[in-house]
Amino acid sequence: MRILAVIPAYNEEACIEQTVRSLVETCPDIDYLVVNDGSTDATGRILDERGLAHVDLPINTGLASGFQTGMKYAQRHGYDAAVQFDADGQHLPEYIPAMADALVEQDADVVIASRVLAGERLGGARGIGSRLISTLVHLTGGVRLTDPTSGMRMYNARMIRLFAEGYDLTPEPDTIALVARKGGAVVEIPAHMQERQGGQSYLDLSHVVRYMARTCASILLFQWFR
Amino acid sequence: MSFSLRVLCIVGAAATFLIVTNSIRRSRMRMDDAIFWVVMCLGLVIVAIFPGIATTLSQLLGFQAPSNFVFLAVIAILLIKLFTLSTEVSALKSRVNELAQEEALRSPTEAPPDAD
Repeated sequence: MRILAVIPAYNEEACIEQTVRSLVETCPDIDYLVVNDGSTDATGRILDERGLAHVDLPINTGLASGFQTGMKYAQRHGYDAAVQFDADGQHLPEYIPAMADALVEQDADVVIASRVLAGERLGGARGIGSRLISTLVHLTGGVRLTDPTSGMRMYNARMIRLFAEGYDLTPEPDTIALVARKGGAVVEIPAHMQERQGGQSYLDLSHVVRYMARTCASILLFQWFR
Repeated sequence: MSFSLRVLCIVGAAATFLIVTNSIRRSRMRMDDAIFWVVMCLGLVIVAIFPGIATTLSQLLGFQAPSNFVFLAVIAILLIKLFTLSTEVSALKSRVNELAQEEALRSPTEAPPDAD
């Protein structure tokens, strides 16, 4: 099975090289593609100088579009599966083979790496938001997720096509709810994650509010019209 | 419709017309998009010159005053315009993203073959 790790990167000069190195060392059989989403820092230069597999978006287009770029690449190069992998080093590549196994054995469309299944507790506001989204996804998509906001997800070829050709699909829980409601199989496997290894988080209040508003509105309202 | 409202309509329409034609002269607006504003100006001027139109329509629809009808009509037209603008911006965003994606995918940098 040919698997592509799609790594969207926007201003990730602090950790992109280390993230790719550990991915390549841990999973030498897996291809990867960094999608440099119009970074204004040294990300592009690092990718060029180190000879890392990447494409450069000429402008910053946002995570959804950056991820879609990777999915278009995966589709055009005939990959069987693609895994959404953070550039900041949060995701641990050693779980990718287990995700691939789950994808095949359980004939799943989406496999999510769940911190909760691995025994971690999502505390504070993050935990509340996660449980709220979990409930909404369960109500509308009929699938119980322990860690819906986990950003480490593997998709099969059918999902690659959906993301590559679809309109306004985010690599977020609202799309998972949509896929589940339309009969797609979504499963979780236990996986630990670590703190981001460098760079800046976008988890400030205005981003969180916009993320929650968009995700909730998409799951509760807009998905019924899609 | 009061006399002052009629004058204001004409003054507003004239000012808008000047701004729009100026934008065309300076290549800041395409003619396709300017047509809406020119028609809007024309409509305001017609209503100001022939207030009987607004009076008749407002009585027909049960408005207390013709000016209320004019206000509501203008707000409705602007909301429709705002909505079409919103969809156009959405379409533009999608197209810009798609162009950027295709440009990026034209020249991918492949990883060097494995050393082993």
